[in-house]
Amino acid sequence: MKEKLQELKEQVLEELATIQTVSALKDTKVKYLGKKGSLTEIMRGMGKLSPEERPIIGQMVNEIRAQLEATIDERSKELEKAELIAKLANEKVDITLPGRKPQEGHLHPVTLTLREMKKIFMRMGFDVMEGPEIENDYFNFEALNLPKDHPARDMQDTFYITEEFLLRTQTSPVQARTMQANEGNAPIRMICPGTVYRNDYDATHSPMFHQVEGLVIDKNISLADLKGTLEVFCKEMFGNNVKIRLRPSFFPFTEPSAEVDISCVMCGGKGCRVCKNSGWLEILGSGMVHPNVLRMSGFDPQEVSGFAFGMGVERIAMLKYGIDDLRLFFENDLRFIRQFK
Amino acid sequence: MLASLKWMKEYVDINVTPEELADKLTGVGLEVEQVIHLGAGIKGVITGKVETIERHPNSDHLWICMMNLGQEELVQILTGAQNVQQYDIVPVAVVGSQLPSGMKLKKAKMRGLDSFGMLCSAEELGIDSKLLLPEQRSGIFILPVDTPIGIDVKSVLGLDDVVFDIDLTANRSDCFNMLGLAREAAAVLDTKLKTPNLVVEEKAAGSAKALAEVEIEATELCRRFALRVLKNIKIGPSPAWMQNYLRACGLRPISNVVDVTNYVMLELGQPMHAYDYDKVAGHKLIVRKATEGERLITLDKQERVLDSTMITIADAKHAVGLGGVMGGLETEVTEATVNVMLEAATFNGPSIRRTSKALGLRSEASSRFERGVDTALNNNALNRAAHLLEQMGACDTVAGIVEAYPVEYTPAAIRVTVEDISRRIGTVIAKDVMLDILNKLQFDVAEENGTLIITAPSWRQDITCDADISEEIARMHGFRNIAAHLPRLNLVQGRQMVIEDVRDEIQDYMAAAGLDEVMTYSFIHANAFDKMQLAADDSRRKAIEIINPISDEFKTMRTTMAPSLLATAAYNLARQNTKVGIFEVGRTFIPKTLPITEFPEEHRVLCAVLSGKRNELNWNASHEDVDFYDMKGILEGLMEKLQIADYKFIPAQEPFLHPGKSCAIECDGTTIGYFGEVHPTVQENFELGAVAYLLEIQIEPLVAGATTIPQYQRLPKFPSTSRDIAVVVPTEVTMAKLDKVIHDNGGKLLNEVKVFDLYTGKQVAEGCKSMAFNLTFQDNERTLTDADIDVLIKKIVDVIRETFQAKLRD
Repeated sequence: MKEKLQELKEQVLEELATIQTVSALKDTKVKYLGKKGSLTEIMRGMGKLSPEERPIIGQMVNEIRAQLEATIDERSKELEKAELIAKLANEKVDITLPGRKPQEGHLHPVTLTLREMKKIFMRMGFDVMEGPEIENDYFNFEALNLPKDHPARDMQDTFYITEEFLLRTQTSPVQARTMQANEGNAPIRMICPGTVYRNDYDATHSPMFHQVEGLVIDKNISLADLKGTLEVFCKEMFGNNVKIRLRPSFFPFTEPSAEVDISCVMCGGKGCRVCKNSGWLEILGSGMVHPNVLRMSGFDPQEVSGFAFGMGVERIAMLKYGIDDLRLFFENDLRFIRQFK
Repeated sequence: MLASLKWMKEYVDINVTPEELADKLTGVGLEVEQVIHLGAGIKGVITGKVETIERHPNSDHLWICMMNLGQEELVQILTGAQNVQQYDIVPVAVVGSQLPSGMKLKKAKMRGLDSFGMLCSAEELGIDSKLLLPEQRSGIFILPVDTPIGIDVKSVLGLDDVVFDIDLTANRSDCFNMLGLAREAAAVLDTKLKTPNLVVEEKAAGSAKALAEVEIEATELCRRFALRVLKNIKIGPSPAWMQNYLRACGLRPISNVVDVTNYVMLELGQPMHAYDYDKVAGHKLIVRKATEGERLITLDKQERVLDSTMITIADAKHAVGLGGVMGGLETEVTEATVNVMLEAATFNGPSIRRTSKALGLRSEASSRFERGVDTALNNNALNRAAHLLEQMGACDTVAGIVEAYPVEYTPAAIRVTVEDISRRIGTVIAKDVMLDILNKLQFDVAEENGTLIITAPSWRQDITCDADISEEIARMHGFRNIAAHLPRLNLVQGRQMVIEDVRDEIQDYMAAAGLDEVMTYSFIHANAFDKMQLAADDSRRKAIEIINPISDEFKTMRTTMAPSLLATAAYNLARQNTKVGIFEVGRTFIPKTLPITEFPEEHRVLCAVLSGKRNELNWNASHEDVDFYDMKGILEGLMEKLQIADYKFIPAQEPFLHPGKSCAIECDGTTIGYFGEVHPTVQENFELGAVAYLLEIQIEPLVAGATTIPQYQRLPKFPSTSRDIAVVVPTEVTMAKLDKVIHDNGGKLLNEVKVFDLYTGKQVAEGCKSMAFNLTFQDNERTLTDADIDVLIKKIVDVIRETFQAKLRD
């Protein structure tokens, strides 16, 4: 009997080694280990054995069963793995076909630029204020030291609605409004972004555009503070390598006044077409708030001083994105807008 | 303004290159935008005299000129010009020379004869013909008879000059002239300033005071008015050097008297005017306000109707000129003029500005008066002009000046300390540095107990307060020498207004929803309301208009954003876009009255347009067009995002929307917007190439919801159960009606109702539709049993059946 069992074991192991599919393996298991299987049949013949032999053979049968079951399990795992590999190998997709992408829209480059500008100034503690686009002569001009018939009014061709009301030519009326609302209390640290209008329409002028103007009022504010603040802004906006230059200029609401240039962002200051070979780009106007403006808005120029600045958002956006035509901003060609993320 | 460097050099030594000077002037606030080297393109063009001239034997228009070029041998040059005569002196481009066009002269053969060069016209030398005398404009440029022969033509025509194009700021009227610029250059370069020759011989008999009279009636419009009388005038061209300077500065030479008045204006900054003495009635000039409706024919032969704000110069009878703007035709200096009255006055800037604007007359004179003219200049200008005319032999001057100067100008004394100035600039500047700067600028400085008392020179009427002194110090010290630091202020982050946060949130949402942001003008064409089919009494037609628009297209301040967005959609649909989804958050302008007498309301509005395909063309996306529900979904998503629950859709009555596919949005009992399919006629009016969906909604009413902080709801502990029901109902039964019935009968256990199918077609009876709902039930205390739900479903189905004559579908 021992020999019989040994023979069966060899036979099964041999057979298992040749099996290639999980289903064939199952069949083999049934054939030898199942209820009607060969091993079970041998077990049935154990009754004929002597009582001495019985436990020995019984133990042997159990050992063989355990060994065969383990081998089948192992073999089964191997085959399942091989079959999975074969299955996956047949399930290829074309990874070069385009995916289903969420269809996100795009914000306008002026919005993107404006947001970045606001973020920089807000980090520096500037509050953001907005005001009406239809302004009156007082806030747009007079409160900013630009009396009627002042020749500097020509610097800004104005759209009029009545003699009294107009489309604001700058966002600085919001500064005048904020100063008056503060009733002489410093400090003030604010920017006013928004839409402005000028009666000028050609390749380099749009009748509507956007500005960000800023104002700081406190004790002992100086031209050096203005220079430092704008330097931080320009570096944050255009990168750490950018240099700034102040040039004396004239604005009725500031004294002293300065135009601010940055080193050309296209050529790094070496001179190119964009900077007309000067190495510098004019980006904003600024200055110390004129004592008349402080006085008119309820501040004592002996007590406090301040600086103000203003710049065009489209101008900054053009430099940032390398846009060479102002008109693109308002043509709203989607092929243009979709380029900005 | 254009400024001749050669002219400036007559008054200041310039020891740097033109480019260096331009940089230095820009550094102190006189921005030199361009440095123009006038004759830059001309090389080797010299003066030559026509010794003989004869016809070309083989041509009926060519001439053979034998030219004396200052060398021993004459040179043969052919010309096709017809204005050259024997002994004329002309510019000659010899072989090897170069012209501004880039042309290099070579020996040429014309009809068998050699030509060793070319005689030049003014244009060929790069001179703008608008700046020439009429006789100089066509043909070869004939030079004055006393021109030396064989010298570089650039020195003869002033083309060896360098011109600065300066963007002069409105405050620096003192630099609106050559002497002023020279003064500034002298301060910057630390060199000496020379003064012009003002000596007048006064050879004519008599005294001016006996021959002429002046009176200022309108003292608020004219501070000073002065005259000189010139006799024996000989009208003719001005000398070439003067013409060259005038041309360099962009002015056209006319005749000696006119040129001298212009020359003195450019040189000293004092506008002048010359009258024909014998045509001025009573030889008296009166400065007064015009009478309302008074008429005057000005030099340009236009009849002008005046009003009482305008400065008029009148003689004993009537108006003879508009002070500071333009002279009258009647007293014009002509070829026949024998005696002249020369005027130098100081008129009120704002009045000149109003007048020149009202009459559309801007001139070199008016733009100087607008900015302010130095009151101390009048007599200097009269003397300089008389001196120049005498030098030309063009007049004899009568002794004396006749003037009216009621209130003498006294410059303000400004009190300021050295510390104040340093504090304002933010950099410590030593007192002696400040005093040196003020001295170079010719400011008077006295000192009293540590305070500086500063008086600006008469030409610096822009200096009125201590801040102005700080600017003078800062600009001359150099802005680059000012330290940069940050203000010492509290460490707090800035904030924006809540409405701007909401706007940002809406922009982000709309972009995430797949729409592109556009930016359109706030003004629209007046015909937009017609295109939108607005009724005659529609309140949106009451729009604010610009009185000086660029064109009708940009005239009306929008009361709705729809026209702007529809036009933008049309623009893009016409450019091969299969999918157009655009939005803008902008403003509309709603007047309280028209014309406005108080600030109008400015509403923040979201407007959007959808048109074309729902998806970009892709192998795995549906290729359907957008419909009503795309726009509705975007809006519903927005309301959810902004936490607005209390709103509803009601039928809209908008004339520009499809009546059956549109609705109004009502929030808190007020209509805040609308959306829907664009009316086919409106679609056509805006040339929209496809069906489009339009949304417009006010932003302000959404702020309250947007700022709500969401409150946490406990998560359910027990599973929910869902059931589907499908009913066939008449087509007109709306979702809202069914939803209400389902909710009313589902009790508090009914948690959510979703429509998952809508069908009309062959499977259901005509006039009916099938709708399928998925109902979710939830109890927070226990797990619901089938029996619990069966009861509710039965109740719901029964009521639907009863209420809508519905059938249950299986």
